[in-house]
Amino acid sequence: MKKLSTAERLGLVAYRNQGRSEAKPHILVDTSICNSVCPHHCTTYVCPAECYKFDEDGRVFFQFEDCIECGTCMYACDQGAVTWSYPDPESGRGVTWNFG
Amino acid sequence: MDEKFDCIIVGGGIAGLSAAVELARGGARFLLVERGEFAGSKNVSGGVLWGHDLARLVPEYWTEEDGFERYIRHRRLTLMDEQSAFSIDFKSTHFDTPPYAGVVVLRSRFDRWLAAKLEETIARSPHPDESFVATNILVEEIVRENGRVTGIRAGDEVFHADVVILAEGVNNLLTRQIGLQDDYVPADHMMIGIKEVIRMNRRTLEDRFQLNGLAGMSNEFVGFCSRGVEGGGFLYTNRDSLSVGLVLGIKDLREKRLQPHAILNDFKLHPVIADMLRDGEEVEYSAHVVSSGDMRVMPREIYADGVLIAGEAANLLINAGKAIQGMDYAMRSGILAAETVLAARDRGDFSAESLAQYRRALEESFLLKDMHNFQDAVRLLHDPNMYTTIPSLICDFGRRIFTVRSAPTQKTKQVLKETIKDHTSFWSLAKFGYKASRSL
Repeated sequence: MKKLSTAERLGLVAYRNQGRSEAKPHILVDTSICNSVCPHHCTTYVCPAECYKFDEDGRVFFQFEDCIECGTCMYACDQGAVTWSYPDPESGRGVTWNFG
Repeated sequence: MDEKFDCIIVGGGIAGLSAAVELARGGARFLLVERGEFAGSKNVSGGVLWGHDLARLVPEYWTEEDGFERYIRHRRLTLMDEQSAFSIDFKSTHFDTPPYAGVVVLRSRFDRWLAAKLEETIARSPHPDESFVATNILVEEIVRENGRVTGIRAGDEVFHADVVILAEGVNNLLTRQIGLQDDYVPADHMMIGIKEVIRMNRRTLEDRFQLNGLAGMSNEFVGFCSRGVEGGGFLYTNRDSLSVGLVLGIKDLREKRLQPHAILNDFKLHPVIADMLRDGEEVEYSAHVVSSGDMRVMPREIYADGVLIAGEAANLLINAGKAIQGMDYAMRSGILAAETVLAARDRGDFSAESLAQYRRALEESFLLKDMHNFQDAVRLLHDPNMYTTIPSLICDFGRRIFTVRSAPTQKTKQVLKETIKDHTSFWSLAKFGYKASRSL
């Protein structure tokens, strides 16, 4: 076996309607907290789907499309930047496991 | 819908489905709501379902083609360092007689199968047309009147019931909404489970793991596999795939600045694991938060006026070193929640005092008995000695004792003494051993 990149791994995950243009994010991230007071930026490394990344200027940004709804960020972030809800099945129902 | 249900269950996982089966048998009219496309579609586990409760929900489940993957005949606990694996290994035909003591499951398949069993149970129940399983519905709000829970809201629709069972899983947003748990739950006692399902030719898999028929193996790992992060690894055999992964402390990952997925890559490349996975093909990557079994993270209470919390939503889980028990806890707590609802219905009383029966039943069951009894073991497992020093020491001892040199051989006692000295002190090992002997 060889090491898999996160992109390769996420290629094995089935999502439903995630790419729809009207899909609403189910996690709200107040990146102004990430990019000011946060000392660790932990979501950029604990998220197993790498939904939290640094941009070219070294600022944290969040994209929900690859989210596998594991919940790690809602516990890992102790700065109050991450607010969770669940994806609305009507407008992007998110991850659907084949094996689980 | 104007009519009121006896019970609404939020969540089509093991806790919710188990509660529903018992409610259907008890003649209750209920609505089970699941946000995923089907029961199981959002659910992840390691996963071994331990214990005998499945036989109670689905009698003679072992005669069916579907449902579980394999039953556990062979158990192995492995301590690892960078090169080595030192295992405690137990295999016995004692495990061959149903009902099995543990079955490996893949939740998307297993929960879906259990939901089909629920539909059969509803069809045979006294009110086959008045109980429903509804998928693709997100419960946004728990409806309360004068402080008591009276129903749920999904979009513009409100459904009412005498009791709501929250079986929403570990990320229990609704339990938090009604104030039974804080809005923010810190990472201290929460873990991330991360795994891959690796497909393998069935014959290859059975030959490699010496499996016969539907017999299977569970292997847990502690030590180098978690790269110094609290937690450990697992490998379970499915019919034609392996479930391989890690359970890692979220706070520890944060503090050590490590990626769980990078640690999983390293784990798969460990020579001992690589030998097991050879020629397999990754077919799914998944992750989910799981609680550690530390009771400090549990909701303030697991019942209130008109509501009960079951399964991982109540952080009901234990790992005291011998097995990670989450799904059997979900199953039993779902069953006990349903029994509480049926008794409350007979009394016509759904107040908190009446529903306190659920708390008492859990306290009298193996769930809370074991959780109380093994809290020190849970904490011991999260002691850095457990996932760093001890596995290295034991592997080093193994390397020394099993290496035959063409030179005079030391007595075992001397080898042990020298190994201990190289890794820790006698005093700290004795202290740790004393703690371990009392807690495990």
